[in-house]
Amino acid sequence: MRNARLNRPTVRGSAHAARRSCGKVKMFLMATRETLAVCAGKAAMWASRRAGLGAGSNLPGKVALHLLPDLPRRIASRLPEGCALISGTNGKTTTANLLAHFFSLLGERPIHNRVGANLVTGITAAMVEDCDLRGRPRGRRGLFEVDEATLPKAVELLKPRLVTITNLYRDQLDRYGELETLASRMRGALATLDREAVLLLNADDPLVSTLGEDSQAQVVYFGIEDPRRQGEGIRHAADSKYCRQCGAHLEFLQVHFSHMGKYRCPACGAERPSPEIAALEVELEGARGSRVRLSLMGRELEVDYPLPGLYNVHNLLASAGAAYLLGIEPEVIAQGVESYRTVFGRGESFSLRGRRLFLVLSKNPTGFNEVIRTVKREGTSLPLLLALNDRIADGRDVSWIWDVDFEELASAARFVVATGTRAEDMALRMKYAGLKREAITVERDLRKALLQAVDRAGEGETVYALTTYTATLDIRRMLSRMGVAEQIWENARRKGA
Amino acid sequence: MKSDMTDKEEVRPTLRILHLYPDLMNIYGDRGNVIALVRRCQWRNIPVLVNELNLGDEVDLSSYDLFFIGGGQDREQTLVCEDLRQRGEELRRAVEQGAALLSVCGGYQLLGREFVTWKGEVLPGIALFDMRTEGGEKRFIGNVAVRSRLDGVSGTLVGFENHSGRTWLGPGAKPLGKVIWGYGNNGEDGTEGCVYKAALGTYLHGSLLPKNPHLADWLILHGLCHRYKVEGLDPLDDELEWKAHEAALKRTQAEGSLGARITTFLRG
Ligand SMILES: [Zn+2]
Repeated sequence: MRNARLNRPTVRGSAHAARRSCGKVKMFLMATRETLAVCAGKAAMWASRRAGLGAGSNLPGKVALHLLPDLPRRIASRLPEGCALISGTNGKTTTANLLAHFFSLLGERPIHNRVGANLVTGITAAMVEDCDLRGRPRGRRGLFEVDEATLPKAVELLKPRLVTITNLYRDQLDRYGELETLASRMRGALATLDREAVLLLNADDPLVSTLGEDSQAQVVYFGIEDPRRQGEGIRHAADSKYCRQCGAHLEFLQVHFSHMGKYRCPACGAERPSPEIAALEVELEGARGSRVRLSLMGRELEVDYPLPGLYNVHNLLASAGAAYLLGIEPEVIAQGVESYRTVFGRGESFSLRGRRLFLVLSKNPTGFNEVIRTVKREGTSLPLLLALNDRIADGRDVSWIWDVDFEELASAARFVVATGTRAEDMALRMKYAGLKREAITVERDLRKALLQAVDRAGEGETVYALTTYTATLDIRRMLSRMGVAEQIWENARRKGA
Repeated sequence: MKSDMTDKEEVRPTLRILHLYPDLMNIYGDRGNVIALVRRCQWRNIPVLVNELNLGDEVDLSSYDLFFIGGGQDREQTLVCEDLRQRGEELRRAVEQGAALLSVCGGYQLLGREFVTWKGEVLPGIALFDMRTEGGEKRFIGNVAVRSRLDGVSGTLVGFENHSGRTWLGPGAKPLGKVIWGYGNNGEDGTEGCVYKAALGTYLHGSLLPKNPHLADWLILHGLCHRYKVEGLDPLDDELEWKAHEAALKRTQAEGSLGARITTFLRG
């Protein structure tokens, strides 16, 4: 927008020539400033890598934005295929990574922000990394996971062609205050999308399914249609249970997990929208993943999906749906789903000292409850490592662990090694969940805890590690240093770069 | 139940807990408080019973010994406020007769005289505590440590707070404790929570009771004494509870340090 205005001659008359040369100078200065911002961002990136700050650093984006706040808008406007945004509380990384993987099978490499770097700074950093010094992007499209609270800003800057919202949980209330307030801000942002844009929403989440109300964009819904996937949610972790039209308590005809399912309003008759991107049948196969029969706007396909749990089926639907809407053929999507390797601790297994380690990121009650259900299928005398951190990225408030059904896990545990910055809280939770005191060990040091859990497990046995966000990062790094996870790190780097 | 109580020798003291609005007021792991109360009774072979009260339920409050209400978001608070007003007198009477009560965050706010939200909406409370609450712009978020004095015994309380309401105690109210680190009632006068007889209000969640076993036992004992002659509670092995308590105390101290502030700044 501002570009166009800068190019348009604005004044006539005697001063015209002088003004025009002034305009040219301005344009030149603007271009120089852009180059400067890109260069500074790239330099900061190099420096933060040298300093070992790693992928999570906000510095390059901060530097570039400081010099030119408009930079992401400028770079985005030069992407021939535009941007796709993925937002929501859970599953945005998995969804974005799956989608990037589908494109990679077509030889396309979208500009894609790294794990966790989902604020404007992180998006800017990804753009700066993938463009030349004049701000011309190397990729044809942008693919960004976006923090829920950042979505309004990202929509305004990037003018996305597709926006996907996975779900909304209140686990990040300590950052955003009210869930309703957050939702209405998102709704407002999505109202600015134009008619050509597509909005892909989770029909199973009563709050998310209303986010397109004020939008002119074409709204498509995804959801789970298999009637056998009746879980036990709406107990402790239920979040959005009210009808948006009239405020009455929603009635759930089927609950997949947490507050996800088929619902209707008994008062005004408002109903869950019918999904065009649907999981018609889901066979859960424990930690190994699931077999899913999908329908993409009527085109059916069946896939072996390597990620565990029903919550990951939503991520499958969001990514496959987005891919289909962006023009990728179902055959390619099927191939992509089956060949997908998790890039980042969402249910991976490693081999360590003659044992297997199953590492899964669990960052909030819903995630944890789903993981517990998955892990429980694996046996009744399991060795467990539970890592609870309270760093900013994890959420500083750990009270959510009392909303998790650890009672279910306690009955399936042989022993628990509790670790992380809030190891004692985790241990205490397991004690009150009914696990005997003798079966609980507190070891704050993550490395020692990991080795202890592995050594106490039997030869060939699997240790189940349920870890919060930063603890997962730390364990990955540790395994990588031990030479265990090297190959997968390599993958991550290639995909992310 | 009346017939049970005529024959006191025969009857084992039983703790009857009423969890108020568990469906609506459960925002920050509040369930953990009930879990802690139940477990600590079970470990001592004290029969314990938990019932729930939801909007519109017909429940005789006088048959309970311990009440618990947790926190909720604005919308939930409004719904609960109306229902609670119908029961205000009954709940106040139960407390007057010695029943124990724990209210956390949003639930605590509804037990004062009134809660004026940031938008200017007035939620009248049941005036169990002599206090009023106003909504503020900035949220008070973080780890908290409090020095409290209950029945003449001094101790620390640890938890996490997350509230935008500022609570001001009236002349008839006694605070639960003094803030060592954190914001407490209003971030200004250094008070945290409120005590009236065996009724407590606080902004601390975390959950509160598992990490503060002395407070859990204080509530259990007062709940039991309300109906039975109970001298004291059998001691439990609380090594893990105190470890978690100490760790949380250290956490609040560390947050005040310069290094922690710099790290927060850089990460932000
Ligand atoms: Zn309705």
